[in-house]
Amino acid sequence: MAFRKAKKIINPRRRKGEQTFGHLYPTDGKSKVLKRREWKGVKDTFYDYTRWLYIMSILAKFVAKPRNVKAMFRYRWMANYLAVPHMMDKFTLGLRDEPLRITHIAMNFVIKDIAGLMDDTFRGDRNTGNDEEFSRHCVLTDENGMTAFMMGFDETKAILREIPTMFVANLLTQHSAEHYIDVAQEYGLPGDVCPMPETELGLSIDDDLPVLGCCAVQINTTCDGSMMGNGLIAKRLDEEGIPTYQLAAPIRHREDDVQEYAAKEIKAAIKFTEEMSGEKWNWKRYFECADRVNNTTRNRLEWLDVNSTDYPQFVGAVFSLYNDTNYLGNCGRSPDFPPIDRKIMKLVHQGYKRKTMMAPEYRHRCIVWGVQPQYNIHMLTWMINCWGVLPLTDMLSMVNTRIIADEDTAENREQAYYDMGWLNENMIMRNRTHGGYKVLVDELWEFCEVMNADMVMMWEHMSCKALVGMHGMFEEQGRERGIHVVWVSHDLCDPRITSRQSIRDQFNQYMRTVLREEPLDPTIENIPDDTMW
Amino acid sequence: MKDLKYLMYFEDLLQSAHNELIRQAKDEGRICAAFTCENLPEPLMNLPGMFSVRLFAPHTTSTDMASYYMTSLLCETSRALLERSIEGGFNYADCLIAADGCTMMNRAAENMALLHTMDEGKPEFFYEFMEIPLKADENGLELLKLQCRNHILGPLHEKYGIDVSDEAIRKAVEEHNHVCRLIREIGDFRREDDPRITGYEFHILTLATYVAPKYLLIDKLEETLEELKTRKPDGKKWRARVAVVGSEIDDTGMIKLIEDCDTYVCADRFCFGSMPGRDPIVIDEDSGEDIFTQVCRHYTMQGQCPRVMNMEKVYGRKQYINDIAKEYKADGIIYEQIKFCDPWAYERMMGSVMLRDNYGFPVLSVDRPYNIESGAGQMRTRVQAFVESIEIKKLQGGK
Repeated sequence: MAFRKAKKIINPRRRKGEQTFGHLYPTDGKSKVLKRREWKGVKDTFYDYTRWLYIMSILAKFVAKPRNVKAMFRYRWMANYLAVPHMMDKFTLGLRDEPLRITHIAMNFVIKDIAGLMDDTFRGDRNTGNDEEFSRHCVLTDENGMTAFMMGFDETKAILREIPTMFVANLLTQHSAEHYIDVAQEYGLPGDVCPMPETELGLSIDDDLPVLGCCAVQINTTCDGSMMGNGLIAKRLDEEGIPTYQLAAPIRHREDDVQEYAAKEIKAAIKFTEEMSGEKWNWKRYFECADRVNNTTRNRLEWLDVNSTDYPQFVGAVFSLYNDTNYLGNCGRSPDFPPIDRKIMKLVHQGYKRKTMMAPEYRHRCIVWGVQPQYNIHMLTWMINCWGVLPLTDMLSMVNTRIIADEDTAENREQAYYDMGWLNENMIMRNRTHGGYKVLVDELWEFCEVMNADMVMMWEHMSCKALVGMHGMFEEQGRERGIHVVWVSHDLCDPRITSRQSIRDQFNQYMRTVLREEPLDPTIENIPDDTMW
Repeated sequence: MKDLKYLMYFEDLLQSAHNELIRQAKDEGRICAAFTCENLPEPLMNLPGMFSVRLFAPHTTSTDMASYYMTSLLCETSRALLERSIEGGFNYADCLIAADGCTMMNRAAENMALLHTMDEGKPEFFYEFMEIPLKADENGLELLKLQCRNHILGPLHEKYGIDVSDEAIRKAVEEHNHVCRLIREIGDFRREDDPRITGYEFHILTLATYVAPKYLLIDKLEETLEELKTRKPDGKKWRARVAVVGSEIDDTGMIKLIEDCDTYVCADRFCFGSMPGRDPIVIDEDSGEDIFTQVCRHYTMQGQCPRVMNMEKVYGRKQYINDIAKEYKADGIIYEQIKFCDPWAYERMMGSVMLRDNYGFPVLSVDRPYNIESGAGQMRTRVQAFVESIEIKKLQGGK
């Protein structure tokens, strides 16, 4: 079967400001940041600068509190947060007009949300703020777990302490996880497990996780490794006097015969949280949150609809990270998200009407599948700039599409446990990597049809056993369907195993040797960013 | 010691996944249910008119085809099973019942289904994938019951007309328990200071009960038990006694290698081992629970699989190792795992630290290949060094 070809679309509008980006990268082999910021034309550079100031204001407010300064000296991973403004530059390279604004609005809100989470964390943390009363109203939850079971609590806060320590830290600086990976391995963990739970475990062993909360709720989140790492972390929490509850999310989440189990687990987790926090579950609040979850679902589906056209607007790493924050971390609990969604939606529609493009040319329509290298997730922006390959969506964004009950009735109160169970089972990543091969393999090809994609860029996270266990099937079925499957291997958060350039090289090689194409911007085919944050 | 009468017979039986007893049972018209995980209730796959076989792939060398489908980064057990399946080594089976327990084994089974490795020319063949409870509690029990109804009993009755009544289950449990009692009684001899059965011999017998039809083994196991009652130990001076704990050991070479280092394997807490896999299912007639529920309860509550995540079980598993190590007089513990196995990677780490720090046992923590022949030298060196450390410790009065 012949391979598909995407329609080539030339951007009729010349990009304002700089056209190539290679010269922005330092060549001294030492620098951690770009030589200078990108010139995007007067209007967009000014906008970009104001957003940079906004980020600085968030950071300034954060460091104005003594407990947060104390945390800077107490926790090794806090040093990564010096790189926040630099992270934004990685995501906005080459962007103008609506996509630039969408990226800033989404990511700035993510930054604000994380800053709030960290502020709360340090407030209750025994090692820094040590506000015992506040700590009594906090529940530690898993980084990759849906916080659905917290949707009906007004006062009690969910603290996802692995988000700032592992997940975001590695977005900011590529070497952030290495020390903790080494700590876990020195303790006896083999080096072939996924480095994400490995890092989280290393943080716990190294006594570098904030300690707070009336209790913790652990979930068998994304994989065997994640689930198993919880045991030792719970033991550590036990020693700190923080009781844990293990909330089981069934693996085969599409099957009808596991839903009752999931619902009962949620019910038990809520009961445990009520007992530990002393707060009663509030149905009114739950249904308000459920309404916001539905709002998020509808918005995301609409953005995906736009991404199915010739002129996508909200794509790439930022699309993924915003969904991550909105679905997992927030799960309808914050009323601050819907206004942000609305702002983004307005820009998406505007950009679509104006046929705004992010590169001089679109050559391929690509679905990004698999698990991203956290330290190189901005490679999706690079794909657009370097090769004109448009990342329409990614596996982590293809999460729940079901509308849950959001009206407070007696019947819906019972249904709510099933809905929360469903959300919990379908948390980001595991809703694809687990649940049988159909959700991982078959549905990928369905998305390729719907979104008119001719290419799949497959992040092959080498320690993700659920994903690589279907390697051959992806190869064979991709060939049968005439879809280019570009394999890009990496080790999630450890650049010592696969550097950023060696990840890009795998993509470069496919583009040059299989597709026989030349890059749109050859100056960034090779980037000397091994030492950069 | 004088060789056991049937040792060679059992050894021969384990040379091939498609052994002569499977052929005999198939010739008798029985249905064969292949399965992949210790968490699946075996009696439900040994109902009248059928028998179960837990998949294994002895003498695996190359896993080239399986590595194409699953890469070389997945555990070798799952790849070896897929390879053997692609080669046609499991074609005797009439269905495959897989647990979505560990991810890699599930992927192996899914690849088998997608590649139709076992169902060619068998219109009634079915592949079933089961959810296994993640916690040992009542909710988990209800889940397992539902899963067993939908994925074991239902399809077996529908496709092959297997009787799945309480009476049939009771009969299967009786047979299962009979085999378990025989194995445990034989295993009890390992408690002796001068044991009359080696860990290797015991492993051969136990392994056979997983990979061959049980009902065809009973007479030979009974005879072996009688033989052991009068067998004279040879007074061998073992350098140390160890409990082996960890993931699948369906390769008899592993236990042999340890014992070749003069280290007696006195307890076997690993997949394909007798603890707790060959614990009889205790049926309480006065409990008011039907037999099916009691079987499921046994598998939900008694298992020692590392993926069971409630903390009572997480701590309980280490206590269990401590208990059996003391009961069987182990001087040390060998925690082993197949390379790339995630559940046992974490369990091994936590277990080896806790057994050392909290319970005071010397612990050797190792990963290993599926077929020990491919890494025998390394493993032998590790075991020898471990035994030396135990000996030195003994000389130093336990310090």
